[in-house]
Amino acid sequence: MTDIQNIQHKTFLFDATRCIDCRACMISCSVENNIAMNKTRIWVAGVGLLGQYPDLKRGTMVYHCMHCEDPDCLSACPVGAYHKREDGPVLYDPAKCIGCRYCMNACPFGVPHFDYDKGLIDGAFIDKCTMCPQRIDNGQEPACVATCPTDALMFGEREALLKEAHARIAAHPERYINHVYGETENGGTSYLILSHIPFNQLGLPNLGPTPVRDVSQAVIGLTIPAALGIGVVLTGVSLGVHAYHQRKPAVEQPDESEGAREETK
Amino acid sequence: MKMQININPRLRLSPFVMVLLALMGIAFLVAMVRYAVGIGPISNLSNAYPWGFWVSFDLFTGIAISSGAFVLTSLVYILELEQFRPLVRPTLLTGFLGYVMEVIALLVDLGHPERIWHYFIYQNFTSFLLVIGLYVMIYSAIMAVELAPAVLERLKLQKPAALIRRFMKPLVILGATISVLHQGSLGALLLIQPAKLFPLWWTPLLPVLFFISSLAIALAMTIFESSLSSRYFRRGLETHLLEKLAAAIPFVLGLYLVVRFVQLALSDNLQYLFNSGMMSILFWGEILLGSVAPLVLFAFKRFRQSPRGLLTGAILLLLGMVLNRFDVSWFAVKHPDPLSYVPSFMAYHVHYIPSLPEVSISLGIFSFGILAFGLAVKYLPIFEEEGHQPPASAAD
Repeated sequence: MTDIQNIQHKTFLFDATRCIDCRACMISCSVENNIAMNKTRIWVAGVGLLGQYPDLKRGTMVYHCMHCEDPDCLSACPVGAYHKREDGPVLYDPAKCIGCRYCMNACPFGVPHFDYDKGLIDGAFIDKCTMCPQRIDNGQEPACVATCPTDALMFGEREALLKEAHARIAAHPERYINHVYGETENGGTSYLILSHIPFNQLGLPNLGPTPVRDVSQAVIGLTIPAALGIGVVLTGVSLGVHAYHQRKPAVEQPDESEGAREETK
Repeated sequence: MKMQININPRLRLSPFVMVLLALMGIAFLVAMVRYAVGIGPISNLSNAYPWGFWVSFDLFTGIAISSGAFVLTSLVYILELEQFRPLVRPTLLTGFLGYVMEVIALLVDLGHPERIWHYFIYQNFTSFLLVIGLYVMIYSAIMAVELAPAVLERLKLQKPAALIRRFMKPLVILGATISVLHQGSLGALLLIQPAKLFPLWWTPLLPVLFFISSLAIALAMTIFESSLSSRYFRRGLETHLLEKLAAAIPFVLGLYLVVRFVQLALSDNLQYLFNSGMMSILFWGEILLGSVAPLVLFAFKRFRQSPRGLLTGAILLLLGMVLNRFDVSWFAVKHPDPLSYVPSFMAYHVHYIPSLPEVSISLGIFSFGILAFGLAVKYLPIFEEEGHQPPASAAD
């Protein structure tokens, strides 16, 4: 295995067919990152039995931050509390956060979550998966990956994992849905998912190949031109109307407006 | 000199005022609890519904009904339609208080209200919430300056009042520009949710729709507020003025409907119009109440000329448009919620209903607004701008 800290584009691969729903990843994550007992950064969602006997299927989805290539939370945060590291992780800086929760609205996966049980003194912050920078920068896999007993979670170079994922589909086309979720979804994510049941049944949204932030960012780019345009039009109209009134003094609207206009002159 | 009989040193507490004060007191206590133990215990906001009643009511509705300020100031100062001058200060006051109320609500809703100054030092210009915050601050300041002559006249400081009046025109142009951007940006706030907002509402044209509807809301709100204040403050109703405003409403609403439906047709979303259950009902509710009904009613001159007709039409329009703001920011938004182990295809079943303390915060803030409006009208020359002769001294 290559040195973890030298991986250029760090990525997870989750294979739902391998997950045995043991939830060790949740525990190790909480231990590693000191997460309170009533909180978690990973959700393991069991979707129950699917299909008709004898073709029954069970699915489990290990869900945490997708570490998008073009993070929507980062785009949405008014105070720039998010940043995306070159090598993959999307990180959050609680020192900047004002608690507006717009990132939670922006994230199509519903990942960032908020300390609703903390007041001003404790400080209510957003929390989410960090890809364990304290581990990956020291040559270790993230806690969830290191703990996974069945290698349902793997960690490595994005290109290599994509190749691995497609190889698994090719080797067992009857077992997998022929798609790697996260390869293109939302502009690509650093969390790739292989599954034997439809992705939307695992709780994953149907997303296009462009990040959901695109329209928002395109429109906000129009702000300055729009401001200038509106300003120029209003100024022009104002000057025009004024000139018109100067030329034809108070002929029209001779009723109640006349008194008011004379006062302003 | 009518330098006022209406200063009443004795504060008379009518039952209505008592109720308002009580609501404010309750809201204050709830806010203190919220600051001590967090947002969770007093509200039903959750990771599935990070924004709820406060955002829909105080932010989306509050800013929308403040739009009268920029429309009326533009009519009088840019288009020089002097006949509307009597309506300027009341709508300016409504707008200013609307913005103040929204800021107060934000101080409860934000996780870290004490860090609001981060808006000035950590700015991320890809965020519509950032520009919206800046618009709120700038436009509140502009409205405060635009209203300042009322206070200065009251204090008999004619020089500074005249100074502001001289720069009123550029001030109004700047304010209207910011306000147009602000109204549009509120719609743009939801552009980042194409995967969450129901397709009957999500469109790249959201800012345009928000701007057009804010014009209609501005006219309706001015009619609504003038009708009410003419009752409560026993002033004559400027029916002839309101009739002219109402005459413009069908055109604005017509444009709104055309843009709305053409956009739905072009984006191939007409299919959701009738078969989406609750979403279809909400959609038609807001379209019929807020657009079609007022459009038809205000098209009749006889209807526009009766005070009762004016008020009815305005209320219908406001109800429908408020429903629209609630739809886009709450009812039609679905969030995937991994925490509750509900896959997103079932997320329509995750319900959010605001808790009583949550609503009480907004009620308290609203009471503050009403009380502040009453006090301002009582002690400041809001309704009788032309009655005072200061504009004449402005030329000196």
